[in-house]
Amino acid sequence: MNEHDHHDHEHPHLPSQSNATAGVPETQDAGTQALAEALRSSFFIVKIVMALMVVAFFSSGFFTVGPQEKAVILRFGKPVGEGEKILLNAGLHWSFPYPVDEVVKIPITEQQTLQSTVGWYFTTPEQELSGEEIPAGQSLDPARDGFAITADRNIIHTKATLHYHIEDPIRYVFGFLSASNTIQNALNESVLYTAAHFKVDDALYADQAGFQDAVRIRVGNLTDAEKLGIVIDNCNVQNIPPRQLKDVFAQVIESRENRTKTMTEARSAADKILRNADAQSKSIENLAESARTNYVSLVNADAKRFSELLPQYRTNSALVAQQMLMPALGNVMTNVQDKIFLPQRADGKPRELRLMLNREPPQPKNAASQ
Amino acid sequence: MKRNLVTTIVAAALIVIFAMLLFSFQVRQSEVAVVTTFGKPVGNITEPNLYFKWPWPIQKIYKFDNRVQNFEDRFSENQTRDQITILTSVYIGWRISDGQRFLQVFKNGSVPAAQQMLEVMLRSAKNAVIASNELSGFVNSDPQQLKFEEIENKIKMAVQTQLSTNNVGINIEFLGFKKIGLPESVTQTVFDRMKSERQSIIVANQSLGDSEAMKIKSTAERQAAETISKASAEAIQIRAAGEAEAAKTFAIFQQNPELANFLLRIDAWKQSLNQHSTLIFDERYPPFDLFKYLPTNSMTK
Repeated sequence: MNEHDHHDHEHPHLPSQSNATAGVPETQDAGTQALAEALRSSFFIVKIVMALMVVAFFSSGFFTVGPQEKAVILRFGKPVGEGEKILLNAGLHWSFPYPVDEVVKIPITEQQTLQSTVGWYFTTPEQELSGEEIPAGQSLDPARDGFAITADRNIIHTKATLHYHIEDPIRYVFGFLSASNTIQNALNESVLYTAAHFKVDDALYADQAGFQDAVRIRVGNLTDAEKLGIVIDNCNVQNIPPRQLKDVFAQVIESRENRTKTMTEARSAADKILRNADAQSKSIENLAESARTNYVSLVNADAKRFSELLPQYRTNSALVAQQMLMPALGNVMTNVQDKIFLPQRADGKPRELRLMLNREPPQPKNAASQ
Repeated sequence: MKRNLVTTIVAAALIVIFAMLLFSFQVRQSEVAVVTTFGKPVGNITEPNLYFKWPWPIQKIYKFDNRVQNFEDRFSENQTRDQITILTSVYIGWRISDGQRFLQVFKNGSVPAAQQMLEVMLRSAKNAVIASNELSGFVNSDPQQLKFEEIENKIKMAVQTQLSTNNVGINIEFLGFKKIGLPESVTQTVFDRMKSERQSIIVANQSLGDSEAMKIKSTAERQAAETISKASAEAIQIRAAGEAEAAKTFAIFQQNPELANFLLRIDAWKQSLNQHSTLIFDERYPPFDLFKYLPTNSMTK
């Protein structure tokens, strides 16, 4: 059988060995001797092959763990080690070959990323890459297009991207048939759950950060409760209004901006009014202040003049009065525009004089004639 | 003899390996095994290890994955209590908790058969729970009225109850909505409503902006008027204070009221007779009595 096949091929290659073992005295004929020699050498080959197989068997237990992973050895199906020691770090390791040991490798240090699958309208990956706008129909086909319903029963599209890493690989790998699917379901649920709490304006504009936080918290709670053994690193959420209503949503933003602008303008106008009023009131007070100072100094000046005049007046009141009166009269006569001298009639009777009041002022007339 | 020893060792090793294959089995972490003796299950083995068994046909081993598995039902329509049609898809995280029961209930422990049963149970649970809730329980800005989690829990309880009454060896770990939608025709009416809501917001923004701007301006104007009137009052006070201060000097004038009076009159006279005044006088009063001495004027009749 196999040995015979070997015999035919190997005999010519091992003449020295055949000779060395052929030293035993034999009584058989040459044919039997040749057969015995062939068998012996074949057994030797088989032994070497077996030894190699044993070596191969044990050396097949070596394996490497990469920098982005950990490994667990299952001996007869049970993890080897206790607690933290279950996990093997990067490097070369050895385990008993199958069926004693089984090596399970777990990606761990690398961050995992998942996207929600239920909130976005239908696009193909190519369309998404090229950023091409797919023309929107009148309605959304629930079988194809995803969306979320907000607290005020509006439709929005929402896309959540979750970044997480595995903290408890034992739980992650041995607790779930497909942990990433479970996490994705939790993410989808969180998006729907959060949308159900938020009004459309909050979800899209006013409180987008709050929406994102709420999704992150919800995913964290769900995955904690489900004991997935992961830690959420980050969660980004993108919310947009339906494409069918893109224009009217844009108009709302514009009207909101206009409103803000109107208000800002009104506020600056109000500021100006108040500043003017302040300035005006300052000037009123300043005027009053200066009037007061003027008045007081005037009165003081009068008092001073009075005090100076008083001794002279006491000595000769009539003279002082004359002295005061004459310059004043001169002043008056200079200033007064019309001076009419009315001499006394010889008979001493009073004269009759008619004056026309409210005459037209002469200036405009002069101005007109010039 | 040496050859015989080696042969014996090899033979023994081969026998041990063969015996191991026949008489032992492993239960891996995350597996549950059921041993049947002549077809009769004799218990669950959940602890991973190497175990002894009698070779076939005496004992047979069935192994099941007891990790949490995902099941999602089809996206299907349901009516809420307020007669609104919604579409939902629910995911279930379930696991085989009792391999023996599982093996007995489902032929050869078939997972697809188990999923089929889950789907039937889930459908009836969903029908019942969704029909007893209004849409406002699914979406609401008031956390008090939102029953999202409550609805999920009720569906979970309903499925769990059916599973435990039938004792099928399955446990539900968690359940939630994967997808919620509206029928296509409804999305269009929602869009129409959303559009009109947006338009009313636009109008409201316009008028609100104007009215608020007006309010801001009028408030400012009122404040400005207040400031000015306060300043005017202040000004009157200042002037009054000035007058009070001036009044202190009146004691000086009191020394000779006649002179004071005279001075005041002169000032008043100077001020009152200005450019627009007409002065009529005759020669009886000084200093115009000087005119008496002019010869031409004495001729006047």
